[in-house]
Amino acid sequence: MTSISTTVDQATPPVVNVRRQTLSGVIALSLFALIIVALATMAWWAKTGTIRMVLELCCYIVAAQMWNMLAGYAGLVSVGQQAFIGVTGYAVFVLAQTFGVNPFLAIPLALVVPAIVAIPCYLLLHRLDGPYFAIGTWVVAEVFRLVASNLGWVNAGAGMSLGVMRDYSGFERNVAMSILCALMILVAIGGSYWFLRSRYGLALIAMRDNPVAASSQGVNVRRLRFMIYVAAAVGCGFAGAVYFMAQLRINPPSAFDPMWSNVAIFIVMIGGIGTIEGVVIGALIYFVADRFFGEYGASYFVVLGVMTVLVALYARTGIWGMISKYWDAPWFPIRRHLMVEKEDRS
Amino acid sequence: MQWFDALIQGILLGGMYAQYALGMALMFGVMRIVNVSHGDLVILLSLIGISLASSFGLGPFAVMAALVPLAVALGWILQRAVLNRVVGEDPLPSLIATFGLSLALQNLMLQIWSANSRSLPGGGIESRSIEIGGIYIGLLPVIVLLVATGLTLGLDLVLKRMRFGRALRAASADVEAAAMTGINPRSVYAMATAIAVGILGFAAVFQSLRSTVAPSDGGAQLIYAFEAVIIGGMGSVWGAFAGSMVLGIAQAIGFRIDPGFGVLSGHIVFLLVLALRPQGLFGRA
Repeated sequence: MTSISTTVDQATPPVVNVRRQTLSGVIALSLFALIIVALATMAWWAKTGTIRMVLELCCYIVAAQMWNMLAGYAGLVSVGQQAFIGVTGYAVFVLAQTFGVNPFLAIPLALVVPAIVAIPCYLLLHRLDGPYFAIGTWVVAEVFRLVASNLGWVNAGAGMSLGVMRDYSGFERNVAMSILCALMILVAIGGSYWFLRSRYGLALIAMRDNPVAASSQGVNVRRLRFMIYVAAAVGCGFAGAVYFMAQLRINPPSAFDPMWSNVAIFIVMIGGIGTIEGVVIGALIYFVADRFFGEYGASYFVVLGVMTVLVALYARTGIWGMISKYWDAPWFPIRRHLMVEKEDRS
Repeated sequence: MQWFDALIQGILLGGMYAQYALGMALMFGVMRIVNVSHGDLVILLSLIGISLASSFGLGPFAVMAALVPLAVALGWILQRAVLNRVVGEDPLPSLIATFGLSLALQNLMLQIWSANSRSLPGGGIESRSIEIGGIYIGLLPVIVLLVATGLTLGLDLVLKRMRFGRALRAASADVEAAAMTGINPRSVYAMATAIAVGILGFAAVFQSLRSTVAPSDGGAQLIYAFEAVIIGGMGSVWGAFAGSMVLGIAQAIGFRIDPGFGVLSGHIVFLLVLALRPQGLFGRA
């Protein structure tokens, strides 16, 4: 808690406290810490099947939160984040399989790739206006897919297998997957929360509400958008690296699957765009729906699509938006409340 | 000679892309929205056309006569039921709504028509060709190009000369000022989308005549339309037409170099235009 005394009125300077944490926030943060610990220790209490399922869910949460930062805060609607998911997945396979780098070391090393690739992509795409930016990102993802399908040293259309994983026992792999899950969630959710509470977060929220007004207040909108784009590329890349390491196989159609964007958009829109809580709620809904209705295939996706349309038409703030209208208890509070202390100073 | 042939084939291919791109240019010009389900609508209309042809034994031009009014109605309903609610300054709602629609349409088509590729029997015109100076030119691609040119000309005339075209241009320049002069933007928008999707009725017949269609093909058609619009420059319908030609030529030449390189070379030309001339080849700077 910070204490600021204003000098506006010399006679009675009101003492103002800035309250940033709430009770619900403290409870949620403790739960979050517990979940991270539970994830990291999964190898000791969960079955391999469960770990794989949780890993998939974690990847979706990360991809969705990255899309949320892009679309919900930076105003950059992308339908091509699979470009970075695939590129990083491939980078892990090339490092580990072709160059013999330890696969678990290859994951952090591979994260350099999306960061570098994202820079020219953004320099090209930022020239496109709103909706055209979105389709442009899709073209970039398609370019990556076609290049990977034609590139001999990533085995072209046939794809690659991560044979080096044979050197590790099942338990060792489970430990690695558990720790990676915990790290992903910590970086994507914890990192976003930390970022949104920092002074950059303040600038970002100002930009979300009105970019023109924000830039007149000294926010460097262009630089902030660029930063978010690169950060989201690295975040998606992390999810891709972990996902394909667990899959042990990668090929161009799966690496650059537009399904990643479909899922990320569904999760964020249903849960509530522009909030971290929304991503968590949306991911859980998607995951449960996928377990129960995934077997219905096409008709299940028809329902997902129609739900996305309905949210865009009638409930743009999603489920979390509706909840927080009636019950103001944020799990990840980022607002700053000014509390004026009424004390007698005479 | 081989490259000249590729050039001709590219221009003919461009005729096909122009039929997708016109509607997209029109909708973006008027409402500043991109309909993500643009390509899926082409596929939906194609599949309806193929089913009509097989159940009633219709020829391709009879199918076209049935599909175009259907497409116009579909466009009008799309605007009234969905797009009019999401038009606005913020691009997000319209993108998300049409994105969801695209997902739903694609999977609905998969459910009804299965994942198989189908095509429309053309009664021989799809395989007929004419020889000019040693180059064989397919009759169907020539018809496609002529229809595309006719549609572009017609749309240009409507926008420039007709009362509705003036209302449309007024609404695209300043929607509030247009509303003050007695134009109802919502009905103008509905007409614009009806025209845009109506053109897809033509495109659907030609697409299913010249190759096969499957429910998952929509995304590629959307991307081609989008690339053509950006390459040409967002200014005019003729820009979209010219952009389609450039895209068609780029793809045809790419296919000659390596079959795996065709679509990719179209994307590369698009990215080059974006890097070197972001306002488009024929756009105003």
